Amino acid sequence: MLKKNIINNLLRIVGEKNALTEEAEFKSFSVDDVLPEIVLFPNEVEQVSEIMKLASKESLSVLPWGSGTKSALGNKPDRADIVLSTKNLDRIIEHGASDLVTTTQCGITLKKFQSILNKENQFLALDPPHVGKKATVGGIIAANDSGPERLRYGTAREFLIGLKVVSADGAIFKGGSKVVKNVAGYDLPKLYVGSLGTLGIIVEATFRLYPVPEYSETYLVSFPTLEDAHGAVMTLLNSDIVITSLEILNPELISSLTKRNDLDIKDNQYTLAIGIKNVEKAVKDQVSTVKTLCDQNGGKGKIISGVQEEKFWDDIRDFPWKLFKTTRVVCKASVLLTQIPQVLETLKRLSDENGIKTYISARAGNGILIISIKGEPSSMIESLNSLRAFVSSIGGHLIIQEAPCEIKAGVSVWGDFGSGVGIMKKIKFNFDPDNLLNPGRFIT
Amino acid sequence: MTTQHKSKSLSWKEKFRDRLIEIIGADGVISSDDELIAYECDALTGYRIKPIFVVLPNSAEEVSAVIKECYKENIPYVPRGAGTGLSGGALPTEEGIVISLSRMNKILDVDIPNQRVVVEPGVVNLWVTDAVSSSGYYYAPDPSSQIVCTIGGNVAENSGGVHCLKYGVTTNHVLGVEMVLPDGEIIEVGGKTLDHPGYDLTGLVVGSEGLLGVVTKVTLKIINKPEAVKTLFASFDHIEDAGAAVSGITVRGVIPAGMEIMDSFCIRAVEEAVGAGYPVDAGAILLVELDGPTAEVEALLPIVEEVLKENNAIQIKVAKDAKERELLWKGRKNAFPAMGRISSDYYVQDGVIPRSKLAEVLGEIGELSKKYGLRVANVFHAGDGNLHPLVLYDSSKEGDLDKTLELSGEILQVCVDKGGSITGEHGVGHDKKRFLSLMFDEEDLDAMNLVRCAFDVKGLCNPGKLFPTPRTCVEPGMKPFKEHPLQKAGLGEMY
Repeated sequence: MLKKNIINNLLRIVGEKNALTEEAEFKSFSVDDVLPEIVLFPNEVEQVSEIMKLASKESLSVLPWGSGTKSALGNKPDRADIVLSTKNLDRIIEHGASDLVTTTQCGITLKKFQSILNKENQFLALDPPHVGKKATVGGIIAANDSGPERLRYGTAREFLIGLKVVSADGAIFKGGSKVVKNVAGYDLPKLYVGSLGTLGIIVEATFRLYPVPEYSETYLVSFPTLEDAHGAVMTLLNSDIVITSLEILNPELISSLTKRNDLDIKDNQYTLAIGIKNVEKAVKDQVSTVKTLCDQNGGKGKIISGVQEEKFWDDIRDFPWKLFKTTRVVCKASVLLTQIPQVLETLKRLSDENGIKTYISARAGNGILIISIKGEPSSMIESLNSLRAFVSSIGGHLIIQEAPCEIKAGVSVWGDFGSGVGIMKKIKFNFDPDNLLNPGRFIT
Repeated sequence: MTTQHKSKSLSWKEKFRDRLIEIIGADGVISSDDELIAYECDALTGYRIKPIFVVLPNSAEEVSAVIKECYKENIPYVPRGAGTGLSGGALPTEEGIVISLSRMNKILDVDIPNQRVVVEPGVVNLWVTDAVSSSGYYYAPDPSSQIVCTIGGNVAENSGGVHCLKYGVTTNHVLGVEMVLPDGEIIEVGGKTLDHPGYDLTGLVVGSEGLLGVVTKVTLKIINKPEAVKTLFASFDHIEDAGAAVSGITVRGVIPAGMEIMDSFCIRAVEEAVGAGYPVDAGAILLVELDGPTAEVEALLPIVEEVLKENNAIQIKVAKDAKERELLWKGRKNAFPAMGRISSDYYVQDGVIPRSKLAEVLGEIGELSKKYGLRVANVFHAGDGNLHPLVLYDSSKEGDLDKTLELSGEILQVCVDKGGSITGEHGVGHDKKRFLSLMFDEEDLDAMNLVRCAFDVKGLCNPGKLFPTPRTCVEPGMKPFKEHPLQKAGLGEMY
């Protein structure tokens, strides 16, 4: 329990209206069943700094928080005194529309952020899940979340050109700059992408933006075999077609999506979704080439556009959360793109052997597989461990993105951090010597 | 520490050299004064320091053994690629050694289906594209020095090029490195696959100017050559109009592969040198390259032409074929060397401004040029606001160099005042460390030092660079002090 005077000091910083102090209110702020002692919603960066100064003086642990959409990522926290939500830090500081650059406070939701940028026909080229559920810009950076369009645009590291951070001891510092090209000093923005709140609280971010593409179409095409589907992928990737997103969906996933979306395609086969965004003529020309190439490889499919297309990609981004409302097991495998069929086949074998069901969307051009699993906890643990062993044996990685505590108890969430782990721990120690920020969840 | 080294006897140096020879072999250790001269500086030749030795290791293991020896004996070292850097990043340290990676120049793995190439750091930038070109791929970052500069140096400086407006700079194309840490440990970060668990150390190491360790292997991403490429050339009476056109093009939602501006000085020099076909009476020329699917390029071309006309372009020409396109680019890529024809000496500045401020800043640079009575030539990556003003001077004229440096410094101040950066691609190195404080305050620099101390607690790896004032670390993993008490008292210089 936090001492009364500490609680009072915290309340003095943010104001009573911007805090939750009753246990009954903490439920939606629990992380792996660990409840905080207080939830704070500072309105100003200076308040975040004051909170951290107090936390560091009193050795209070702090869980940085956006909207909590990725609170299941990481190990169970060692302790959780304060949940510090940035959701009131939601102002766009500047939008240099003619420079395609913007600086924003990090508590803004991506949805709101995009809608403001869209007015200038620009956007932040990130399409992560949870956008409908208020995922914040800061949370997306901290979790390094992305979506199918990373094929074309990359991940947050490619667009985050500057940031402001409140450190564990309350200092406010910045890194990077507000121009698209800059090599002055270390590239601190890169360090913070995917740092999961363990190195400081990201309060401001500067991004480079892109113009909104004029037009979009998606070719959805199913193949008699996985080999045929992947053959088409390799042909497409080796061409000069500029593809925005390219996903291989396994039969389980496509059949559940077909039911939801009235897609009217064969739902018992591996399916490719090939999205192209560009000026209209370039989209039409390229989709037509894509169709020819896929159909030559035994594919049969249909072109979707407009609302149906948008809804389809929404579903791809969020499928684990749309398919499973409560208990979810979601993981991400990363391998070479040529190894994707091996991972898909391994998952098929594990499903048959262990009586689990797997739903998979593979970013075919990036070598990333987003996998959601359903089954008995013990079978899922066994399958995840076998999957990791296989993925590691071919030089890849498996990260558990979300799972109930009992699963996390049986599977390492992060796997092997590699030979750089010593340096990572030193960085964590230098930035947070008292291990206050998200203790135990990531690098400790 | 410097003073300590100096007091050590010659025999100590000989012993150290013998150890290095044991590790690499006699032909891999340079110690004669005549040969060391070549390593006194990089392409920023105004600063020169002779290293005690230069080593030419053949493998990561040899680099590691050398660094372990340096760690034991507290000898500072500077990693070096081709020495084409323009910020003195490879300037040797007093009483230190240079680790030249020039012998580690093998392409280790060309993996076309997975779009990856793994190279040793001494591989020349252009070799990567040469190795994959026949398969329809290329390596995007293309600094002007790409026929000689090495990937290791590109990684250290996070090099850019003329096509990074659309495709990004080195950091967007490096997926992993093997590196030797300052205590001699060899680690691998990132690699051929994406999304490795843990912090993005690759992202930190790229652009760290050789201060965090010595990179011994680099995994690169290669990309498909575009279906269509169109290069436009436009001439203007006034350089401000060219600047406004650049901003106008992006505002219209067009992101060309690259946009380059050259002013009248450069045009004349380049024409004399390579005959690229630029009109010598123009105030400025702008090159715009569009690439991508044919239909996209065809749709964007008229938009670009329209913006050029709106901004008073005199002549607009679209290169008819690859040959014409190459000629147009040849002029741009030879702009720096060609300047030698109109001035005996010149100083290359590298600053960045928001693209929308181009016209305004070019005007201010013109004013500064008048104020100092020095000619300033402008050739730059206009698309990303990366200016390269060349201050022309005569080193035989007393005071000319000092005036040049002062003027160049003022240009950086203008860049920062407009919300920009003191360097877009050349790095801070030795040359610009005093300017870093224009952009970053003490808290910002402290955070950077926390990173450095996590890697290099003894401060032996390329010391004296980047940071405006020397900063120390306490002990392994411990939080660094801002200033060592001894230093504060003026009693010792710390690395």
